[in-house]
Amino acid sequence: MRLTLAGALGAVAAAAPAAAFAVDYLTAEQAARLMFPDADRFEPRELNLDAAEMQALDAQGVRSRSARWSVQLAQHAGQPLGVVVTDDVVGKFELISYAVGIGLDGTVKQIEILSYRESHGGEIRLPAWRRQFVGKTAASPLRVGDDIANISGATLSCTHVTEGVRRIVAVVALARRNGKLGP
Amino acid sequence: MNDRRIVRRARPLLGTLVEIGATAIDGAAPQATADAVDAAFARVAALQQRLSRFVAASDVGRFNAASAGTCIDVGGDARTVLGAAAELRDASDGAFDVTLGSGTHAWRLDGRRLHKLADRAQIDLGGIAKGHAVDCAVATLEQHGVAAGWVNAGGDLRAFGDLALPIELRDEEGGGVRRFATIEDGAFATSRRQAADGVARHASVAAPRCLWADALTKVVVVTANAGHPLLARFGARGWLHDPRSGIA
Repeated sequence: MRLTLAGALGAVAAAAPAAAFAVDYLTAEQAARLMFPDADRFEPRELNLDAAEMQALDAQGVRSRSARWSVQLAQHAGQPLGVVVTDDVVGKFELISYAVGIGLDGTVKQIEILSYRESHGGEIRLPAWRRQFVGKTAASPLRVGDDIANISGATLSCTHVTEGVRRIVAVVALARRNGKLGP
Repeated sequence: MNDRRIVRRARPLLGTLVEIGATAIDGAAPQATADAVDAAFARVAALQQRLSRFVAASDVGRFNAASAGTCIDVGGDARTVLGAAAELRDASDGAFDVTLGSGTHAWRLDGRRLHKLADRAQIDLGGIAKGHAVDCAVATLEQHGVAAGWVNAGGDLRAFGDLALPIELRDEEGGGVRRFATIEDGAFATSRRQAADGVARHASVAAPRCLWADALTKVVVVTANAGHPLLARFGARGWLHDPRSGIA
């Protein structure tokens, strides 16, 4: 084990301003190809839930949050293989984008984190701060790209991601039942 | 190091985000490195099924449901983690306690048998299993031929091979991160919890293995002693961070 402190006894670190932190793992396309390696086509589709469908989700105890969902239908030789849905969730200091792959039987095939952003309190909730990451913009003082830095901290909960996955599974099941996914 | 190709992925596991970084395997197809990372995630997922208290059929779930005076057979992961937990409990006068006060001495591991000595004893491996999971994921990567990389389970992390991993410490009060250290071939863990005196403490420990780094942060937090004698036994080093800034 070899440990090199950033400052004498780590004390210098306290004087440094807290910086934002970001990692990009996969694009939505890369994640979709990982989840459905046999797919020869991903067809983008917009799911628009109507009022009755939103109510049906509420009745299942799933807060539907949004009426519009963008999904990718994975296909091989014209036959459906499943769907990939991407979403993002906001925590106390973090913004997490993730993708869920769902098979034809409605079960979760794979979950991949697409990107992770962490910042000081308030700005994580500002649309402008979040927008700056669209298209992988590496704005200073973010540490991205060639940096392999890792965060250590009191354990981050992935409750928001877990809830988001549950919501997506319910939305996809409903859309499939109502014929909004199938050919 | 920056010109090396690195496969970097994260998945929600162990109730947190688990990140794996693997340098490309020399002389192998790129898929071999991706397969190694998949295998390491699968190892962590399997471990979660055996050790989670939220899984009724897990070793911990079965122990928690069992009555006093019975014993259950447990698997290799539970034996490793509970063996370490017993050693730390005994050496720290109960400061390290996987029952969180529900029965500090009301369990006993005897080979592959886990004895339950009081009905009230409930085990929660949240303070040590993540570290073991990181060690297991590192072993899986190495078995698959990955020469250097890292695994980070929600802040409990380990770097291996010829790679210096910069560690950013999260500011738990205000958000954001600060560069704290760089680690090579070792583990680093951070914890923040309220001790018996009602004070929330924030501590980090560096150790050769992540199981010890993870578990020893709890000893440092509970005893409010970053120089606790147990640290030296495991080749570890600890820090208590300033509660005002959240950083040492």
